[in-house]
Amino acid sequence: MSTEHHTPVSLSSVKDTDPHMQPAAKNPEKVERRIAWTLVLGLVSFIGFGWTYWIDAAPWTLGATLGAGFTFIGVGMVAWGKYLMPKGPFVEERHPLRSSDEERDAFASVIANRGGSVVKRRPLLGALLGGGMGVFGVVALFPLLRSLGPLPKKTLTHTDWKKGSYLVTQDGRRVHVDDFIVNEVATVFPEGFQDTENGQAVDQTIVIRLDTEDYVTMKGRETWAPAGYVAYSKLCSHLGCPVGLYEQSLQLLVCPCHQSMFDVTVGAMPNFGPAPRPLPQLPLYIDRDGYLRSQSDYNEPVGPGYWERS
Amino acid sequence: MTALTTKRTKKAAYGPYGKLGHALNELDDRIGAAKARNFLDKVFPDHWSFMLGEIALYSFIILLATGVFLTLYYVPSMEHVTYNGSYAPLQGQRVTQAFASSIDLSFSVRGGLLMRQMHHWACDIFVGAIVVHMARVFFTGAFRKPRELNWSIGNTLLTLAIVNGFLGYSLPDDLVSGTGIRIAYSILLAVPGVGSYLAFWIFGGNFPGTLILSRFLILHALVIPGIILAMVGAHLFLLVRQKHTQFPGPGRTENNVVGSPMFPVFMGKTTGFLFLVAGVTTLLSAFAQINPIWLFGPYDAAKISYAVQPDFYMGFLDGALRIWPSWETRLFGHNIPWEVTIPALILPGIIFGLAYAWPALERKITGDNEIHNLLDRPKDVPFRTASGAAVLALTVVLFIASSTDVIANFLHISLNTILVVMRVLTIIVPPIVFYVTLKICQELRDVENSSRRKTPNMVSRTAEGEYVAVPAPHHEDDQHHEESPIQVPSFIDESSDDGGSSGTRTVDR
Amino acid sequence: MSLRFSLRRIAALAVIGLLALLSVLSTVASADSDTDPMLTSSMGSGQPNSGQPNSSIVTRDKNGNIVQYGNDAILYKSPSQLTGKSAEQLRLLGEALYMQNCASCHGTKADGVLDSGTTGSFPSLIGLGPATIDFWISTGRMPAADTTLVQANRKTPRLTREQGLAIAEWVNSLSPAYPLVPEVNTTDGNSAEGFSLYALNCAACHTITGGGNALAYGTYAPSLHSASATEVVEAIRTGPGNMPNFSGSLSDEQVRDITRYVTANIQNPANPGGLGLGGLGPVAEGFIGLALGVGLLMLAAFWVGDRQ
Repeated sequence: MSTEHHTPVSLSSVKDTDPHMQPAAKNPEKVERRIAWTLVLGLVSFIGFGWTYWIDAAPWTLGATLGAGFTFIGVGMVAWGKYLMPKGPFVEERHPLRSSDEERDAFASVIANRGGSVVKRRPLLGALLGGGMGVFGVVALFPLLRSLGPLPKKTLTHTDWKKGSYLVTQDGRRVHVDDFIVNEVATVFPEGFQDTENGQAVDQTIVIRLDTEDYVTMKGRETWAPAGYVAYSKLCSHLGCPVGLYEQSLQLLVCPCHQSMFDVTVGAMPNFGPAPRPLPQLPLYIDRDGYLRSQSDYNEPVGPGYWERS
Repeated sequence: MTALTTKRTKKAAYGPYGKLGHALNELDDRIGAAKARNFLDKVFPDHWSFMLGEIALYSFIILLATGVFLTLYYVPSMEHVTYNGSYAPLQGQRVTQAFASSIDLSFSVRGGLLMRQMHHWACDIFVGAIVVHMARVFFTGAFRKPRELNWSIGNTLLTLAIVNGFLGYSLPDDLVSGTGIRIAYSILLAVPGVGSYLAFWIFGGNFPGTLILSRFLILHALVIPGIILAMVGAHLFLLVRQKHTQFPGPGRTENNVVGSPMFPVFMGKTTGFLFLVAGVTTLLSAFAQINPIWLFGPYDAAKISYAVQPDFYMGFLDGALRIWPSWETRLFGHNIPWEVTIPALILPGIIFGLAYAWPALERKITGDNEIHNLLDRPKDVPFRTASGAAVLALTVVLFIASSTDVIANFLHISLNTILVVMRVLTIIVPPIVFYVTLKICQELRDVENSSRRKTPNMVSRTAEGEYVAVPAPHHEDDQHHEESPIQVPSFIDESSDDGGSSGTRTVDR
Repeated sequence: MSLRFSLRRIAALAVIGLLALLSVLSTVASADSDTDPMLTSSMGSGQPNSGQPNSSIVTRDKNGNIVQYGNDAILYKSPSQLTGKSAEQLRLLGEALYMQNCASCHGTKADGVLDSGTTGSFPSLIGLGPATIDFWISTGRMPAADTTLVQANRKTPRLTREQGLAIAEWVNSLSPAYPLVPEVNTTDGNSAEGFSLYALNCAACHTITGGGNALAYGTYAPSLHSASATEVVEAIRTGPGNMPNFSGSLSDEQVRDITRYVTANIQNPANPGGLGLGGLGPVAEGFIGLALGVGLLMLAAFWVGDRQ
């Protein structure tokens, strides 16, 4: 059963005594022993990982055993490659990427002449095809974008606050004029919207009871703060974070995200930081039973600015 | 005797390389596998700075593996449920299914918390390694012709990594990440002219809606990883096609590559390195907790925590948003929210745009249109090095500005003062860094042998009690004796007795 | 007998029904008639609104001081109830301690007027109530070590609890005020409710992990990691320094839940994933990720590759 095998050939070869083929380690046997021990440790660590997983040990033991396993195996493999394999250096010639002039010409000629001439001969078809593709590109945008969601319409400029909405806390309790003492603060919603997702996002309002002497009445807002109760949109006019941070002796609302500061005594005018506009103020009144209610919706869009905002 | 004969006959039947050789031949019959031999001989330079990109590549592999695990348990739904799992301070709270499933996969799935933490740490390492790798490529001029395209792909990879990191950070729907989504929504609103439409389309309505997490998941776990994978493929294909750059040195020219062969030396080392990346990531995940969403609680649009920052790679954007002044103009009855549009959209546009354009800019400025395979030492190209350092300095200052509150609390200095200081630093630090780097590079460039390692001085005392320092003689071991490089041999001739005919091995028949 | 009884029942039901109808009607009517805000906003000057049952969860005495917040989940006690000593004894002790430790800033009459007759830059203590004074003294913030600071720092208290309560009793004897000193048993509290309320009302300043942070113009929200349950309730009810007050917006039960979450969970956070990294979130994580993660791997690369 004799088969004809050709003699294996090599493009280049060296003897194993060649200095390039020597390991970098001066004492390869010693290094090999060390690597062997490292790999043993890796193997044991992986067994340990299996064991900790099996007995459902604390997460850190899982990580420690798995991580140790990876690290030991990694160190072993790198050391093997670095110290025991031929140290070289080896060289590889770099052939220019540029093709010969003939190849370049042929290539360009195929594209320009063969392709170009076909189109040139039938300019109408080319134009129609191009036009069709272009129109497709445009109309493809519609299902891609327009179907994703509704148009903003009035949702950005209106909230659920209406004439006569009760102010309720997040657990649904109506806010009564007797509830607060001076410098008390709470987050409120229009009744019925305190546990709807969008209600929380859009309607959230911060109500603060100020000393009536501190409150500076602004023109057109004479009736908005009965008994010192002022209510501002809790959405920062910078990027819409909830402005939940109130400092009572400085009488500032601070945004926890980017530290815009708003003076609550003068219509929440921005006092410092990146916010450009005051927080919209919700006009309040107190009804005959003593409950706080809103006179109307906010008279401007709440939250951050946008280019279409008028 | 018979057994021996059979063995020998079999070996002969399989050819000189036995069963393995036979299998390889069969493969070659079908797909021409033997033509890949050139690839096995491919030479990789051994300089350590060439491994930085590998850190990124391998952390991406970890991201894929752990990410698949996470998707098996994560539910991208914003439906509200009552949490009833094992973590007591959440029991009875109204949470989204996304949050509940994130908590459950951390606490109720064995190894789940480790996987989540590995995914997050690997992401931090992924983005960090890309930046470090890019810095190496930039400062050594490795982006120059013919590698501009690969530089652009790398740039895109960084952008995609940052975007995908943000999307993933948003998925658990905890208080911190929900605030991040809120800010992202507001930034979308500030896109010139179409912001409100764009935001409504992406979120399927007004914030928060009910769709955004399932959309983020499909982007985070399918679309963007797919694109990243494809671009990593293209990145590596171009790398192999164009071959590595290398630092100048003995035997290294524009027309060769000196280093270790792909198989087995480089492959052994690099696979070991993959394990090392996995090891460091896993050990970090074992001992350092990351993103404890159970301490943050579920997102609720009316709730907020102070001292909340995005992951570090988004920090420069957050910092820019903090320090930008409250400029807003009214034009034709419309608000122009410069205070968001400039720092969140235009500024990153400029930074990344500059990175994309740099190879072309440099070609234009220097008029150098040559092919470059040998790298620059950063000091030899002062203007480029100084420019890169200035942009890095800008992003670092902006990153620091993203934690003005934490710094103020730590140093007991007024928050307002810190913010003003950061505004000033943002303006003055990049030019100062540019100037200082430029000068240092120019001085170094003009010093002879400045890149050589110095020999230590020997201080000796003369008989008169005078101390003199003389350069120590070179120790034999200090000298870097390097053989001149040779071609990668196909194999090593172990039969050293016959000298000349090495390179072939005859097979007994 | 049984007939008469059921008649009485029917009559009672009818009266209740009528009342309910009337109240509904009056609500509807008031919703219509309350359209003139000028008319109604002059109402409600903070005085108790008589004649409206269940109008507010707080109960006030005839001077308008809040004496109860909804229910009895927290007990508010006078210093003598807490120390077991008579009020006279405490006042005597308190006056002496006050003169020694506090009078130099707050004045001998605790009204912020100094002996020289000038109103100092330090606040009057009149009308603050025992809980406020107990909070400031038991957290070591008063007596202040450095009166030039924007905000007094927490430190080891210089006075004992009893001494502090004695001062509170003496100041309160000058002009009785509320709230009294709270006594809370957090084991009955609900951590989950507390977590939710904490996130809504407290985390904006103190951070969600309770570490505290810098606020505007040099002020800061202190860390909650060493606050006792009593201190947490006192702070919520009295609003010390820059902290706002919470009275009618949070019932005693809700305050107890928050206190439970702070003392049980924020002070002993669950960190099953390893070191908590100070609860600082992504800043610390990013630093660790870059320094330890990328840094270690760069060192590894330094070993794997050549350095020449």
